[in-house]
Amino acid sequence: MIRAAPLVLAAAALAALTSALAAPASRPERWWAPGEGRVFPAELDYENETGTLRTMLVGGPMKTKGHPFFAPIGPNGRACVTCHQPADSMSLSAQTAQERWTATNGRDPLFAAGDGSNCPTLPQATRASHSLLLDHGLIRIQRSWPPKDLTGKAITPDFTIETVRDPWGCNTGAKYGPAAASPNVSVYRRPRPISNLKYLLAVGFAYDPKQGMPLPLDPESGRPMSGNLMADGRAGTLNAQMRDAASTHLEFLKNMSARDMARIVYFESRLFSAQIRDRRGGALDAGGAEGGPDKLARSQPGNLGSQGPAPVWSEFAAWEKPDPSLTPEQSAFRQSVARGARSFREKMFLISDSAGINSPIGFGNPVRNSCVFCHNMTQMGNDVAPGQVDLGTTTQPFADPAPHLPLFRITCRRDPHPHYGRVIYTSDPGYALTTGRCADVGKITLQSMRGLAARAPYFSNGSAKDLRAVVDYYDRRYRIGYTEQEKQDLVNLMSAL
Amino acid sequence: MFAVLLAAPAFAAAADTAETVRFITCPIYRDTDAGKKSGCWLADDRAGGRRFDVSRAPSKPDWNFEILVEGRIAADVASHCGGLVLEPVRSSVLPTPCPRHMLPAEGFAGNKFTLPPRNVRPLSEVRKAPEPPFADRTFHLVFDFDKAFIVYQLDDYLLDQAITWIRGVNPTRVVVTGWAATDPAEVSGRTIAEDPAIARTRAELVGEALRRLGVPDEKLELRWKTSAQPVAAEGADGLAEPSRRRVDIEVKL
Repeated sequence: MIRAAPLVLAAAALAALTSALAAPASRPERWWAPGEGRVFPAELDYENETGTLRTMLVGGPMKTKGHPFFAPIGPNGRACVTCHQPADSMSLSAQTAQERWTATNGRDPLFAAGDGSNCPTLPQATRASHSLLLDHGLIRIQRSWPPKDLTGKAITPDFTIETVRDPWGCNTGAKYGPAAASPNVSVYRRPRPISNLKYLLAVGFAYDPKQGMPLPLDPESGRPMSGNLMADGRAGTLNAQMRDAASTHLEFLKNMSARDMARIVYFESRLFSAQIRDRRGGALDAGGAEGGPDKLARSQPGNLGSQGPAPVWSEFAAWEKPDPSLTPEQSAFRQSVARGARSFREKMFLISDSAGINSPIGFGNPVRNSCVFCHNMTQMGNDVAPGQVDLGTTTQPFADPAPHLPLFRITCRRDPHPHYGRVIYTSDPGYALTTGRCADVGKITLQSMRGLAARAPYFSNGSAKDLRAVVDYYDRRYRIGYTEQEKQDLVNLMSAL
Repeated sequence: MFAVLLAAPAFAAAADTAETVRFITCPIYRDTDAGKKSGCWLADDRAGGRRFDVSRAPSKPDWNFEILVEGRIAADVASHCGGLVLEPVRSSVLPTPCPRHMLPAEGFAGNKFTLPPRNVRPLSEVRKAPEPPFADRTFHLVFDFDKAFIVYQLDDYLLDQAITWIRGVNPTRVVVTGWAATDPAEVSGRTIAEDPAIARTRAELVGEALRRLGVPDEKLELRWKTSAQPVAAEGADGLAEPSRRRVDIEVKL
């Protein structure tokens, strides 16, 4: 008995832990607060407007207590999870930001002055000072100017940047803006999801055809980098991204330890998120379809849909055939998704004046192609090549009016921009803030298309409030001429990813 | 001004008695639809009044800018776009603005896309290692006029061939020489010549490309030269003028 007691206690403790790890509550709390110590289960489902998002943690549950992704390592009380929430497909929706504002009266670390407000100089207690995050899901990103290359060497930009409009005061004055004592540029962007990362890190080809060069090498490992992380491509590896995020968003003034970074990478590399159920169509992995995250976890990343083994969004090809056993509503939804997938691949339109597509690669300006021209990676819809492309979402004349955002005037010093000319007006120069090249103004890295239903609004500047607005933007920008049915099919497809 | 007829280069042998043309014009896009990348590019030679189909150029035109057209008339090839087919053909985008002009398909089918034979394969496909006996060898990358951009599905393929060879033979030195075609030429009533500085830019860019592909710094030697003369360069497909605008990668054992 004396010897047995510890064994019994240990067994009981083990059973309790196993139970905790294996059986998550049926309705898990949506908000993951930094340091709360919850167990991250192997499967985590959250409802959203159109259905259910599932996030899988391959390899089984994980205790988050003390884990560097979940721990508030900096002084502002935030952790990585603050802006990469499981219910939001490991991103952050504007709706979630609004719920946190209401629940905490604006005191959540999410609303930290540094980047969770429109500018640190504004009175932090008022909602208006956080309107970009609350209304558009935008985090302030402050880039030093001029930029530095991967080795830390200063780049001499081939353009000048001036502030034309500064609604929040973060691009003018002594401390902020390109004319500040230590010049910087503040832009406002959506947090990117950090699940399904093997697809964003995949290196399919040795070359970046948009830049006309082999892929750049990671200074740490010497290996080529995919070029598909971050809107402006300022970090090519997860380690570089973590250092950037820790020092800015978390205000962590020390270097993250190699061990902590390895733990975060290990966690993130096991995360796969996708919509698993639709309210109208039912299970997205039923009837021969292969929606949901399981397929993502099992598949090889980096395949060009046009070269096999499977076309982009062929996960839903089985739904092209009507299934008489379904309800009319289910059947209509499933066929709409299947049509949307086909339209995504096959509906041709003229793409014009978009740097990264129409220049300098040589496809011609214009070029006829479909959505899958750029969204070409099987299972994920990002670009197999580094995906820096200018759709015009941030740059005039193509961008929608955005009086809530700053506006910059870019003047090219040498060659003019291939499509905009010598003077460009933009609310976010994008990739040019990393390369210092005028030809890169307005280019934003394509991202994963999974889990979209959980993370509105869309585009890097949150300019599309819902998926319909995404389709409408493309329709306007490239004069595609979608029918109402085609628009709805694409919306349904994207909601099912 | 008549289109400039290029002297048949000795290296292009025999080949061809077909007429070659070189002229500057504003491109015309014909909106044909036979699927992806099926639109047509047409170019009117103002001097001769003929319309050419330049759709097969590796670098296609930009409808906002003039192009320099260089190509050989493929008399026995029917155009799906309208115009005499140039094959091989190169089109270089120039900085001079043009009014946009788009024609409807007007019954032309356009060119159904097929993957060009010069396409870089994914990293997952193992390259065939070179087989001995080995000897010094020179590779050429060919550029558009006054550009230093490694052309997609042309130069990237040739660069891939070069690096596969380099990796296989483990050379003692790799000499990269950038060339600029700086000798003036009369084309469509104007004198054109490449900026001498483009020679160095090309050399440095290809040097950086080779570094990224694993050639160590100590084995790389960069040079740049002007007054380039034509050579037999695979990427030029027998066209003399494009072969002047090149980088030589000399792999020395």
